Amino acid sequence: MKGLETASLGFQYGEGGPAALDGVSVALASGAVSWLTGAPGAGTSTLLLAACGLAPQYTGGVVSGSCRLLDEDPQTAEGRARLSGRVAYVSADPASQLSGIAETVVREVAFAPANLGWPRERIDLAAGAALDRMEVSHLSSRLPASLSGGEQQRVVIASMLVLSPEVWLLDEPGSALDARGRATLAAILADEARRGALVVVASEDADWLAGFADRLIVMAGGRIVRDGVPADLLADPALAVTGAGSTAVADFARALAERDPAFESGRLPVTVADALERWQ
Amino acid sequence: MRLHPFTPFLLVLATALLAVLLPAPLGPVALLVVVMLVAVATGAWRAAGAAILLSVPLWIFLLLLHGAMRGGEGWQAAVAQGARLTAIIAASLLAYRAFRPARFLDAAASRGWSSGSALLILATLQAAPRLRARAARILEAQRSRGLRVRGRPLGRIGALAPVALPLILQTLGEVDARAMALETRAVGGGRRTALENVRLRWPDHVLLAAAALAVVAAFCWRALW
Repeated sequence: MKGLETASLGFQYGEGGPAALDGVSVALASGAVSWLTGAPGAGTSTLLLAACGLAPQYTGGVVSGSCRLLDEDPQTAEGRARLSGRVAYVSADPASQLSGIAETVVREVAFAPANLGWPRERIDLAAGAALDRMEVSHLSSRLPASLSGGEQQRVVIASMLVLSPEVWLLDEPGSALDARGRATLAAILADEARRGALVVVASEDADWLAGFADRLIVMAGGRIVRDGVPADLLADPALAVTGAGSTAVADFARALAERDPAFESGRLPVTVADALERWQ
Repeated sequence: MRLHPFTPFLLVLATALLAVLLPAPLGPVALLVVVMLVAVATGAWRAAGAAILLSVPLWIFLLLLHGAMRGGEGWQAAVAQGARLTAIIAASLLAYRAFRPARFLDAAASRGWSSGSALLILATLQAAPRLRARAARILEAQRSRGLRVRGRPLGRIGALAPVALPLILQTLGEVDARAMALETRAVGGGRRTALENVRLRWPDHVLLAAAALAVVAAFCWRALW
């Protein structure tokens, strides 16, 4: 399968500790935006790390079950070597993802393609395009470490975008971004999915993801507890039991419906566009 | 004047060789004077000051060990040894001051080194400023929680543990975070593309030739006399 496929994937950070992942079996296809959510500690971040082999390689811990990403095994050194440059991983902390070597933003973005041995002309073109798409061209000559958190996050995403990766694994990528930055990233991720990339976003920001995610997977205690279309799951009052939050529009509609049952009989709207269409 | 990234480190090597080969005590003292003049001429006052500060305990130890205990020739040996070590420390700090990680990586790529081995050297060279920055952050955080870092010497010693322990633990954690960040940026054993053409230019050639000549001359003098 061209995408991510796990079978009974388990993970523990310490011997005898609680399971961060507990028998996760899921298949995520390329060409769609999949959204992982859940209460803190649900296992969404660990699933992303295990999916690309960063856990347990750099986090320590014990993995069980199987995981295939783009038909490679990310838990082996050979698999990770074959996936190098094809998978983009973005964490919530942009400062920790900077190379610490590049003296300018444009060099930071060019860092990964240079490591892959791309020709200079190709690197220059791709880096310029990535900076433009993330709207950080004006920062090209700045020192990455001197940027604000939001600017650093844009630079980190541009540093992955430059590779045109086949897989995007993003852990709370919008946490450091402002509203415009989140809108830009949403458009880019939707474009990447249309291009055929596998996009997986772990986030509790329901208002942001509800607008462009194709599939919602809710996790709790290291297990998948709900899996379906975001609009359906977010409108379901039972979602609150899992610890995952819904959108402000869905919460508002639910509060109105509780006051006056006649107000809304069908599925509750979950986004502003959804609400406009239903209530106009 | 931007030197090739390897030139300062080769000059440190030459300084270390000269420090050993030049006749004591005048040779090492003259070498120290030259290194300090270079530091002043290049505006590296802080590097020169740091070298002197770092050398003070060494000088005290050497003067006590050689001078006070042996007298006469012992004083000369102490001065020679102190000058040698101070010259090497000052030269190393000067080279470190001129160090630019990105240019070093490009120079390594131009030489055909794998990105993995070049980054290993870089990680070692960058450890000191990272530790210093992290220590400053921890110190500020602990001070905001009421830790007293000024005042009596005993109090200062007592303040070391709340700073040192988190520093060690956080540094260990950062090693993994840094390694993870580099893996996601396709750092491996492959051939890296140099983003800048870093070449040896005439100032590099002049400095390296002069250093090589000085080392050969000192070696010949040592062998013949």
